[in-house]
Amino acid sequence: MSDSAVNTENPLQIEIFPSRILSPETAQKLLSEVYKVDGILRVMVQGQRLPTEVGFGPGTGEKVEHPQRKAIEVEGQLIELKVNVGRLRLEVADAEVKEKVREVCEKVFPFPFEFREGHFMKKKATVTDYAKLGPNADPTLLGMVDPKSGDYKNLIFIKKKEEKESEDEE
Amino acid sequence: MVYNPQYYPGATSVAINRRKHISGDLEKLREISDEDLTAVLGHRAPGSDYPSTHPPLAEMGEPECSVREMVEATPGAKAGDRVRYVQFADSMYNAPATPYFRSYFAANNFRGVDPGTLSGRQIVEARERDMEECAKVQMETEISCPALSGMRGATVHGHSVRLQEDGVMFDMLDRRRLEDGTIIMDKDQVAIPLDRRVDLGKPMSEEEAAKRTTIYRVDNVSFRGDKEVVEWVHRVFDQRTTYGFQPQ
Repeated sequence: MSDSAVNTENPLQIEIFPSRILSPETAQKLLSEVYKVDGILRVMVQGQRLPTEVGFGPGTGEKVEHPQRKAIEVEGQLIELKVNVGRLRLEVADAEVKEKVREVCEKVFPFPFEFREGHFMKKKATVTDYAKLGPNADPTLLGMVDPKSGDYKNLIFIKKKEEKESEDEE
Repeated sequence: MVYNPQYYPGATSVAINRRKHISGDLEKLREISDEDLTAVLGHRAPGSDYPSTHPPLAEMGEPECSVREMVEATPGAKAGDRVRYVQFADSMYNAPATPYFRSYFAANNFRGVDPGTLSGRQIVEARERDMEECAKVQMETEISCPALSGMRGATVHGHSVRLQEDGVMFDMLDRRRLEDGTIIMDKDQVAIPLDRRVDLGKPMSEEEAAKRTTIYRVDNVSFRGDKEVVEWVHRVFDQRTTYGFQPQ
């Protein structure tokens, strides 16, 4: 695994922003296809939260069995989606990998999508990261979760079968 | 000469739709039974009597008052109904209504209503049967699309979220969903499960929603493309600036 936090080759970060929020089936298809591409360093999934119960109002505590909250299988790992996937942020090795990811998106999405390069995840540890995670923190964790939230234990990692790769769902 | 109210300027489809919403001259697109409406509102059991908060006005012996004599009470007020609410969220992706136009509709067409306008939702508070009357018109006519609008009493977010793949506005609490081409609601507006499945009707197609919307969007009818509207908005802003300036 490429250690992006200390990597001097400066990997690219890209964001995939489809014009529709994705069904679990499309999300599974997209993630599976993205994982087949070599040179993906980190993947982060972001979207609207899907609660298990009503959290506000007179119906507080009622069960919500949202049809979008399904288990999906990526790289042989079964994960229950806690979000309705709306955005993917990736760290990739170089521009060639980026173009391969773009091809995957064109293949998977039946609707338009935005595909942009930018700076979406932290590349270096901040003082807060150092304070929360210590000096020997896993650099792949950086920028995946707000360090002040203390939510690292809720992260779900999907590792690539052959190589060590990680994905975070929040 | 007959006076014709001029509700809104403009010649585009959006301006025409805005005039329709404000005037209440609306096309009925679907049928929702009173019992189904009562169920999704969730304020009382369908078929039950309206609970009251005071005796009927006729029995109360009201004080002598010229205003009370001039203004007839609404049916809900006459019967002493409780004040209850209905709240809608409308998607910014070409939903037929927007919060402001729901409020203009309620205030122009119904008496005894208290519309509240927020960025992503719109609430009408009124005596229960008056509110139901207002809610029914909104549910049955072109003001609402079952997929792009939603009756949401709590956790209303979804109006600014991208649509789902099936073209339905996201609902975190899964109150309604697309099943066999129609939108089915099986929870009330605050997401308490119902013992019935209410058919809210077929969603509008993308083309129909674009035709019926009251939202100016650059990818549909742009605001700048409606010269008369721009002119009047400028005029309103200009005049409120001029006449609002009060040096002490």
